[in-house]
Amino acid sequence: MREAGRARSYEPRERTLRIPYLPVAGSPESSLIEPEVAELLESPCSLLVASVDADGLPDAVRGWAVDVLGPDRVRVLLAADADRTLANLADGGRMALTTTHFITAVSWQLKGVAASIEEASPADRIRFDAYCSGCLQIISLAQDMPEAVIARLIPAGVVACEMVVEQVFDQTPGPGAGACVAPVATS
Amino acid sequence: MRRAGRDLMTDAPNPLRLSDIARCFEGMVPADIATASADGVPNVTHLSRVHMLDDERVVLSNQFFSKTVRNLAENPRACVIVIDPVTYDSFRLMLQYERTERRGPIFERLRRDVDAIAALTGMEGVFKLRSADVYRVLELELVRAKVHDEPAG
Repeated sequence: MREAGRARSYEPRERTLRIPYLPVAGSPESSLIEPEVAELLESPCSLLVASVDADGLPDAVRGWAVDVLGPDRVRVLLAADADRTLANLADGGRMALTTTHFITAVSWQLKGVAASIEEASPADRIRFDAYCSGCLQIISLAQDMPEAVIARLIPAGVVACEMVVEQVFDQTPGPGAGACVAPVATS
Repeated sequence: MRRAGRDLMTDAPNPLRLSDIARCFEGMVPADIATASADGVPNVTHLSRVHMLDDERVVLSNQFFSKTVRNLAENPRACVIVIDPVTYDSFRLMLQYERTERRGPIFERLRRDVDAIAALTGMEGVFKLRSADVYRVLELELVRAKVHDEPAG
């Protein structure tokens, strides 16, 4: 999962989705979202989104699938009724997106700004369904809970938020959590 | 404490108390915490467990979530999401930092819990309680998706 320098590999994906972003470790375009980060982001994983209002009050919601669009851009699905978060992000608000592997707890946090919020596209809804299905299977097995119960977490509808990523941090639990992994400082 | 839970059918205020959602504090499902720095940069991470102190306060263990701690030193408010491990209803708690304890019964209670989690995950020596941070709950809200029925269980 965490070997450096490994190019991202893809199995054939849904043809209804557009051509995926294919970052290659070490290339100029991979400086922010490295392949291993992109792979986790687009898998069934825990996704958390934080925002903050004009008075400095933070808010947290779940993300409901991510599409990595480019070296510094992701499209994250949010619950359509996440009123506080959507208001915070409406005018380019600052946001944080944390992705965590359900089993290994390997985790990264992306920080940046919201570029846009728009209605979910048909491709988004396909991605949302696939993400929810994958998460339900994993959590149901791990927690020994019926999928129907865990499905209570799933929102009725989603909207899409495009995020411009400015920094990526290692968030895996342990004393190294919080280390900035991108952009890499150059001397 | 301001309790902002609302009946989704009638929009009437719902007198939700921390003790009503006590199962959320058993540590069965990880919680999430969002904070923000003084200059408005948000941060979000998981918490292994949120402890209920009484009907108006919760306690969070501080091991090494350093950015969260730095943010709270600048901006003492946090948003925590907890999940009921039986119904999977989700609740949002808006918190105000109150105090830090580094000894005493609250600290010892959390230290035992952290040690147990460390032992279970083979991370003794990595997880070490630094402090027990007490927060007042300003707001408690059910955040389950509107499409679903009333809370189960």
